[in-house]
Amino acid sequence: MINEVFVYVGEALVLIGVFCDIAAAIGMLRFPNFYTRMHAATVGTIGGAVVPLIGVALMALGCDWLGSYRFFLAGASIVAGILIMLLAPVGTHVLAQATHKAGLAPKKPLLFDHLEEEQRGEKK
Amino acid sequence: MSLEQQVITFILYVFPFYLFAFTLYIVRALKGPTIPDTVLAIDALSFDIAAFLALLSIIYRSPILVACTIVLALWVYALDIYVSKYFTHKELGE
Repeated sequence: MINEVFVYVGEALVLIGVFCDIAAAIGMLRFPNFYTRMHAATVGTIGGAVVPLIGVALMALGCDWLGSYRFFLAGASIVAGILIMLLAPVGTHVLAQATHKAGLAPKKPLLFDHLEEEQRGEKK
Repeated sequence: MSLEQQVITFILYVFPFYLFAFTLYIVRALKGPTIPDTVLAIDALSFDIAAFLALLSIIYRSPILVACTIVLALWVYALDIYVSKYFTHKELGE
């Protein structure tokens, strides 16, 4: 009984992850510039990787036929999920800051860039 | 249908959606007009491959693939840090 509950909750989480993944991939193609694509990347990493990893951990706990290996699978999946949840935002923020500082990506639909003006004012 | 069969069928139905998402990410990574776009697409692609590997290891019943997910996440974080360090300082550091 408890195995079925674990498996069904895990499958629901994996389904949420698949939906976020497809939405993020389409957004990655359709958004106009780098700074808006960062939004799609966030949906793809947190919704598309962390949530399915926790779902896989729950699914593995309910899988009897895996033997004692299922505990290893569940623990490793949860560790990987927490690691991605901590590392992905940090990496994206660092990349965005470096790109903005170096002025590498075009910011076409943007009307006014306050941060750039502030940095230029500090330099003078 | 037993629980084992149901889990394996579910995972096999989920796989094509993951592969479709991978294809779109790869298109953006190849097409990306600037270097940050490519790095961002590879970033999201690798984190999704980590989740995909965890699903794959349930089907294959092998513990090797799960260990790869942690290593993959750390390497992609290292890629981000190195690329942004190169953008700001124009060198990688010793």
